[in-house]
Amino acid sequence: MNEDEDKALATHEQELRRGTVVFASLVACRRPQYGYSLLTTLTEAGIATEANTLYPLLRRLEKQGLLSAVWNTEQARPRKYYTLTDSGAEVAAALHSHWLELNSSITKLWKDGTP
Amino acid sequence: MSALTEIYVDNVTRHLPEDSRPDIAAEITATIDDMVDARLGEDADSSPDHTATVEREVLEELGDPVALSREYSNSPQHLIGPNSYPLYIWALRWVLPIVGLLAVLTNIVTTIAVSPGVQIGEIIGKTAGNTVIALLTAFAAITIIIGLGDRGMDGGASDSLRKRKPGTWTIDDLDRRDSRSKQIRAEAGLGLVFIVALAMVPLIPTSLLYVGHLNGGETFVNPDLGVGWLLGYWAFLALMAAVEVIKFTTASAKPTVAIIGGIVDIAMAVFLTIALLTQPVLHSELTNTGNADFQQIITVIAIWIITVWDQVSTWRIYRRNRR
Repeated sequence: MNEDEDKALATHEQELRRGTVVFASLVACRRPQYGYSLLTTLTEAGIATEANTLYPLLRRLEKQGLLSAVWNTEQARPRKYYTLTDSGAEVAAALHSHWLELNSSITKLWKDGTP
Repeated sequence: MSALTEIYVDNVTRHLPEDSRPDIAAEITATIDDMVDARLGEDADSSPDHTATVEREVLEELGDPVALSREYSNSPQHLIGPNSYPLYIWALRWVLPIVGLLAVLTNIVTTIAVSPGVQIGEIIGKTAGNTVIALLTAFAAITIIIGLGDRGMDGGASDSLRKRKPGTWTIDDLDRRDSRSKQIRAEAGLGLVFIVALAMVPLIPTSLLYVGHLNGGETFVNPDLGVGWLLGYWAFLALMAAVEVIKFTTASAKPTVAIIGGIVDIAMAVFLTIALLTQPVLHSELTNTGNADFQQIITVIAIWIITVWDQVSTWRIYRRNRR
């Protein structure tokens, strides 16, 4: 790939990732997660995420009522734990179903278009 | 928390709403500490220099605190966004020419009235200077008003999206007010305001515009002007208002309505031209100079410029709406 193609690919990958990170965060927060643990969980799952994107995103999801947040001060270092709410669980389930449909559609399209 | 982290966190939170600062500061601090600890790994006895290097790396990975602050605030990073841009351009195209023309006209008439022996150079100089100021003021006002409105629109859209649960949208939620209809209504509304302002002109005392000393606070229009001329003037304005009301209520720019509107506009321009060229329409004390005829001619030229420009604009809007 030449330089222009690399740039275009990077832009499209970033757009793909942006939507994926929201979905992945909701899925991962089915178990309580604090910021850094979520970052590690996502990275280990192969979903590259930047910290400066993730933390504001968590706050937005909290404001939207999809995540609830509680400060845990019992540990040596106070941490804010995020957990999926009922509403968040519904959204995550709907996104999961859309994800599977998309995956199936793209796979079919790919096969149909392959010579 | 080290001094460096403290400064970084302060840089992030200083642009955020005050009530959210402590919470965000605590979370970022905990994150930075977690990231530093993870990188130091098992080497708990790492030297202070190494710890400082790792901390620096972590902060650099988090990136520009201003950018991080923007992510948290999630506020629009533009003055006029895509939602408001068409309205903004439309407002500039309509308002700036009107303001410019009125500023030129007012300045010429006032300068000649106040200083009967004024030189043409002085008229041009004063008019150009004041017109530029008027245009810049109008530009700033439009930009600020629509910029503020744009933020309201963004907030409203986000709120409505947040309130709406997935799958609850029905066809009744469809925003049926398409942008063209809204624009036609907005243009008709502005037209009605302009017509009302024109209807008031014969009644407005000069003192209202701080030039009452010119004719003892009487009206701009000659008080001896025949009632028939005034009734004719208001009748034409009533016809123009009726056209705008039709446009407003139907929210459509049908060619018939546009043609009727154009005919009424031209008839009004002809009526005003006849009135201005056959008798003193302006108050005699505003025009009792050697330049009285010149002022009347300037006014007639301005009327025709506005009329022609209005017809061209209407035709362009009609062509745009046909697409």
